[in-house]
Amino acid sequence: MAGLTRTAGAFAVTPHKISVCILLQIYAPSAQMSLPFPFSSVSQHNRLGLYLLSLTKSCDDIFEPKLEELINQLRDVGEEMDAWLTDHLTNRFSSLASPDDLLNFFNDMRGILGSPDSGVVQDDQIILDPNSNLGMFVRRCILAFNLLSFEGVCHLFSSIEDYCKEAHSSSAQFDGSNNDLESLTHYDQMDMEIYAIDKATEELELQKNASGSVPFHLHTPEAIFKVIEGITSGLRVSPKESSRTRKKITEATLVSSASSSTVEDTLVDESLFLRTNLQIQGFLMEQADAIETHRSSSSFSSSSIESFLEQLQNLAPELHRVHFLRYLNKLHSDDYFAALDNLLRYFDYSAGTEGFDLVAPSADCSMYGRYEIGLLCLGMMHFRFGHPNLALEVLTEAVRVSQQLSNDTCLAYTLAAMSNLLSEMGIASASSVLGSSYSPVTSTASSLSVQQRVYILLKESLRRADSLKLRRLVASNHLAMAKFELMHVQRPLLSFGPKASMRHKTCPVSVCKEIRLGAHLISDFSSESSTMTVDGSLSSAWLKDLQKPWGPPVVSQDSGSRKSSTFFKLCDHSVSIPGSVSQLIGASYLLRATSWEFYGSAPMARMNTLVYATLFGDSSSSSDAELAYLKLIQHLALYKGHKDAFAALKIAEEKFLTVSKSKILLLKLQLLHERALHCGNLKLAQRMCNELGGLASTAMGVDMELKVEASLREARILLAAKQYSQAANVGHSLFCTCHKFNLQIEKASVLLLLAEIHKKSGNSVLGLPYALASISFCQSFNLDLLRASATLTLAELWLGLGSNHAKRALDLLHGAFPMILGHGGLELRARAYIFEANCYLSDPSFSVSTDSDTVLDSLRQASDELESLEYHELAAEASYLMAMVYDKLGRVEEREEAASLFKKHIIALENPQDVEQNMA
Amino acid sequence: MVSKESCRNEIRAAIRQLSDRCLYSAAKWAGEQLVGIEQDPSNFTPSNTRFQRGSSSIRRRFSTNESISTPQPSVGFSQAATPLPEEDETIDGDLYLLAKSYFDCREYRRASHVLRDQTSKKSVFLHFYALYLAGEKRKEEEMIELEGPLGKSNAINRELVSLERDLSALRRTGAIDSFGLYLYGVVLKEKGNETLAIASLVESVNSYPWNWSAWSELQSLCTSIETLDRLNLNNHWMKDFFLGYAYQELRMHTESLAKYDYLQGIFSFSNYIQAQTAKAQYSLREFDQVEIMFEELLRNDPYRVEDMDLYSNVLYAKEACAALSYLAHKVFLTDKYRPESCCIIGNYYSLKGQHEKAVMYFRRALKLNKKYLSAWTLMGHEYVEMKNTPAAIDAYRRAVDINPSDYRAWYGLGQAYEMMGMPFYALHYFRKSIFFLPNDSRLWIAMAKCYQTEQLYMLEEAIKCYKRAVNCTDTEGIALNQLAKLHQKLGRNEEAAYYFEKDLERMDAEGLEGPNMFEALVFLATHFKNHKKFEEAEVYCTRLLDYSGPEKEKAKSLLRGIRMAQTGFPSMDLEHFPI
Repeated sequence: MAGLTRTAGAFAVTPHKISVCILLQIYAPSAQMSLPFPFSSVSQHNRLGLYLLSLTKSCDDIFEPKLEELINQLRDVGEEMDAWLTDHLTNRFSSLASPDDLLNFFNDMRGILGSPDSGVVQDDQIILDPNSNLGMFVRRCILAFNLLSFEGVCHLFSSIEDYCKEAHSSSAQFDGSNNDLESLTHYDQMDMEIYAIDKATEELELQKNASGSVPFHLHTPEAIFKVIEGITSGLRVSPKESSRTRKKITEATLVSSASSSTVEDTLVDESLFLRTNLQIQGFLMEQADAIETHRSSSSFSSSSIESFLEQLQNLAPELHRVHFLRYLNKLHSDDYFAALDNLLRYFDYSAGTEGFDLVAPSADCSMYGRYEIGLLCLGMMHFRFGHPNLALEVLTEAVRVSQQLSNDTCLAYTLAAMSNLLSEMGIASASSVLGSSYSPVTSTASSLSVQQRVYILLKESLRRADSLKLRRLVASNHLAMAKFELMHVQRPLLSFGPKASMRHKTCPVSVCKEIRLGAHLISDFSSESSTMTVDGSLSSAWLKDLQKPWGPPVVSQDSGSRKSSTFFKLCDHSVSIPGSVSQLIGASYLLRATSWEFYGSAPMARMNTLVYATLFGDSSSSSDAELAYLKLIQHLALYKGHKDAFAALKIAEEKFLTVSKSKILLLKLQLLHERALHCGNLKLAQRMCNELGGLASTAMGVDMELKVEASLREARILLAAKQYSQAANVGHSLFCTCHKFNLQIEKASVLLLLAEIHKKSGNSVLGLPYALASISFCQSFNLDLLRASATLTLAELWLGLGSNHAKRALDLLHGAFPMILGHGGLELRARAYIFEANCYLSDPSFSVSTDSDTVLDSLRQASDELESLEYHELAAEASYLMAMVYDKLGRVEEREEAASLFKKHIIALENPQDVEQNMA
Repeated sequence: MVSKESCRNEIRAAIRQLSDRCLYSAAKWAGEQLVGIEQDPSNFTPSNTRFQRGSSSIRRRFSTNESISTPQPSVGFSQAATPLPEEDETIDGDLYLLAKSYFDCREYRRASHVLRDQTSKKSVFLHFYALYLAGEKRKEEEMIELEGPLGKSNAINRELVSLERDLSALRRTGAIDSFGLYLYGVVLKEKGNETLAIASLVESVNSYPWNWSAWSELQSLCTSIETLDRLNLNNHWMKDFFLGYAYQELRMHTESLAKYDYLQGIFSFSNYIQAQTAKAQYSLREFDQVEIMFEELLRNDPYRVEDMDLYSNVLYAKEACAALSYLAHKVFLTDKYRPESCCIIGNYYSLKGQHEKAVMYFRRALKLNKKYLSAWTLMGHEYVEMKNTPAAIDAYRRAVDINPSDYRAWYGLGQAYEMMGMPFYALHYFRKSIFFLPNDSRLWIAMAKCYQTEQLYMLEEAIKCYKRAVNCTDTEGIALNQLAKLHQKLGRNEEAAYYFEKDLERMDAEGLEGPNMFEALVFLATHFKNHKKFEEAEVYCTRLLDYSGPEKEKAKSLLRGIRMAQTGFPSMDLEHFPI
């Protein structure tokens, strides 16, 4: 349990540090000449100095470079004197023949430090200030060495031997390890005949194994080994921007194998030297990030990480965070039992006090441990695995325990998790769950609806998070609040008696406010000195930055830079924005997109989604990325037609193959349904609709919104099949459902649908009130686009009453035109154009012969748009009208053309088979 | 049945061979079995008779109830006799003699060096064995030197690689003997190659069955009954020892007892068998019997430390302070730096309520043996007593990670979390513990109590647990009473009455009295009265009348009510009209 506190920040002498010391000796020899021997210019000297500075900065990194890598880097830095430098380095090492030499070496090191009170410094004199970065490093090394017992010195000595030996034999290492593997596999088959490997490699293997390292891939088949190699090198290269696509992974592998940094090497490193806590913690943090961002890409195998973690756990059994990482890993590979096991083990060992950055390390809580965090994690785990009831029970317990121990931080997080759980579960299932719960928080509000409970939980969480200054939680709560405001319709709180206004409304201003508040996080974050920065990863970034200007980069530097903007690149290195923060900000953009979509501005929605996809695509969680793709595809379907949308969908399907496909599947069904409806293939549409309905009722509960959508689509099919009374029946029952479950926003579209039904059935008088009601709903909920389309329907209804209302209809249409043309999709626009033409044509005061262009322009526009949409019914109507107009004008040729177009569409509408083929 | 004489001869030769190869613990074990065989009439010595007479009187008390009645499993079953291997050299080489004396002085590397070019099988084995031990010794030292801030270092036995290579070469040429195979198996096991290790060990014990060390290594690799069944072992009486041991470790206690019973036919006075039998009985919770067995064991072998921690557990459970302190004192004088001794002392302090001291001794035990399972669990118990729950949880978790089937530690974890007010979290651990010991009523009751806590209040689940507890013959009688009360609380009076009656029967059978009894009687009386079953009600009321206190008054008023109801008058009237 006390693994962390015992020797936090220990500094161990390693061979690599000794090489840095040797270089330092060259840089600032004790003789204090004006410019030491090998350097020919001051700039050369300074360059080595800078390099040494970056080396000392990066010595907290978990991976220490091998001697060979160091020499390679020196080659880049040292230019013409590199040979001298390397020679000196290796000679110095080979001169260490006994432990006593080490002792003398460190005594010499003391000499290069200037005395702290030597006030007089001559101009050209080179003195290593003991308080400078380099001086501190030397002092730390000397101190650490002096603290070593004789056994420790012996171990250091033998590890130096290995360090040098590896450098000598590194060229043969790859073959060696392969042969090693080969021999082992044969060995397993008890096939002793093929044991004859050439002497040298066997010798090498012996050395390596005898040096105290357990070969990592001892029993892993070669394929896995390869995968690990790719991944870990990917991690090494740059965890934040590590490549998502397969192609890039291979690129990274190539680079890394060139610089001979394979998994095996790093692990040999691992087992040779002891690491400080800080290094390992930093490394684990990176791994956790990697697990999260990589879980969607198929090339990321969780088993490799798992075996690596197992190895780490063997090496450091008191490092409990490894258990947590294993839990994360299992969580992402959907292994319920192993995840549960590891989670519990982690909290049993660490009592939740190790490695949780959200907890301020205060002394008074250590007595009881922090098991409430365990409950919180357990609850979230159950939720992820689809046990909402269990999750709720556990979270309730977490609330109780954190209240008992007055751990407000945890309480805030738990409440946020709970509200998230409730809002995600859907309404119908949640109410049954809440009935059985005895939570103090939820039971106070037992009479409230689920939405209200979500609201209360969010408010409570936000209040606590605000007072505790948990910026990320505040931000995510604001986002959740925005989501809530977006989805849920406000009702006046005091609505008693007959006089009470029953007006519902939504409030876009508050949504905007919440989103803005959430986005403040980024400015806050860069100004505060964050607790999240991990020294290990930061220091490795240092080294990478430094290498950029010189020579060919050792690591693949520019693979990701094309994608992410320079601003974030900059942030990555200097401020090091943690993945979670950029994820949150990304989510705020997505939410913006959703809200614009909702309020009816497709271009704004598209823009925000694009911002998200370009800036945050790298750091996003896969579900968010999926959502972004979804939105873009939807946009394509609306504005570019189905063909493009399906092409994009195919790409998205490949990308999100490993993740639960439900969202993509949903989108696919929706698109197929719409297309089938347009093409008049009602059977297919019905099938899609049924599948959609099936998706609505999962094992987790009933998703009411999806269910409503399914029946809405069903009504559309009935409408297209001209079964008006049945369609109207469905519409009515749908309205009742919406009313019952408080789905206010859906009501507006249901009303519009009813109006449409009456319009189509030729019952315009009946349709009018529905259209008007829909408009008033849209008005109070700020659904601008829907309102425009309702207005269009209203105008159509007026026209249906007789041609003497054409003027009024035209006025209505023109009122809605800006909205429709600016934000509406292809279908809506085409409908508006056709209707405009219709209006003109039916207006008795309008003469075709004088003003034909007004009508023809609209119709041409409409038919163009409908062409890409493959909406045969409307396209036929447009061509029909066009033909009629041409006929009136006497333009026979064009009339024939329009007529043949009309025929084509009608035939396509009646024979929808060919469409079905390429869809299935 | 194997003849005792042949057994004796086999063991005698084996001891010599084992100690020639410095396999001392195997030789020790064989020696114990040798004297465990019933008296050889040919060399009757007075000391032997005294040794045997001391135990026979006690044996008689216990041997009647089981061992005779069970049929001998393999009467008439001819065991394949394994011929004793001839020694390859009659006269030991000079270098071998030197090396052996080095070995005996624990200068392993020196011993190994002396034998580097020897070819006789004995020398070759000793060469490798000494090398292995040298590596082990260095490993232990390095482990302490290299211990980092995060615990265990990666110290390994550096000789393993060369040993594996050389031994596999020997094996390929067929020059390896059964002892070499044993060492090869050990090396493979340490390198993590378990299947190959099992194969090698099986081959070793099939060709030379008297090496108990090989059998125990084999046992440690048999972690499931499937692996055990898959072993292809020759029939030999040593196999029965092995099976008994393996069954015990796999928690198949009755099977294990049967094996030991059979073996007792030959090795009637083996301390080892007696201790193992006691262990099995302990797991079956036959404490009285175990105590007597250990007493006898100590009388025969007063300086024995092995297995005495188990004895101390028994004494602890029986709260025998004096006996426990006596045992602790005795073991302390024999060898104070044994994990068992520290554990016994820890148990003693725990019984005395001095938990800090107890923890200190358990810690010492763990320092001596980090994988000492029961010390972790016991230390967890102490921390629970000291209200240091995080430490307790840590200790329990370590026990569980050493042996995942340790139900006590799982139970302890559950208890600790329940103490912290996290009953839902605790449930998982109770479930785990019940999984490993499904027929222990205490565990079921603990789980039921967890469901019953006011935070969860899941009474239906609690009822289910109590029902399971009743089926597991709940000795403390908590379950029946609780079942009745829960049903009463849920308004199911019929069920409640049923369980109260059962509980009453149980208390009558055990001759107990107490508040539970009153409660049951009062409830039953009222219940039957309400259901107009006046005769039953009267019976319960009259039983209540036997006791003084408020219950008596209650019974009287109940009786009065019954009489009135029986006479048919509405009771209300009688109250109002004075007669």
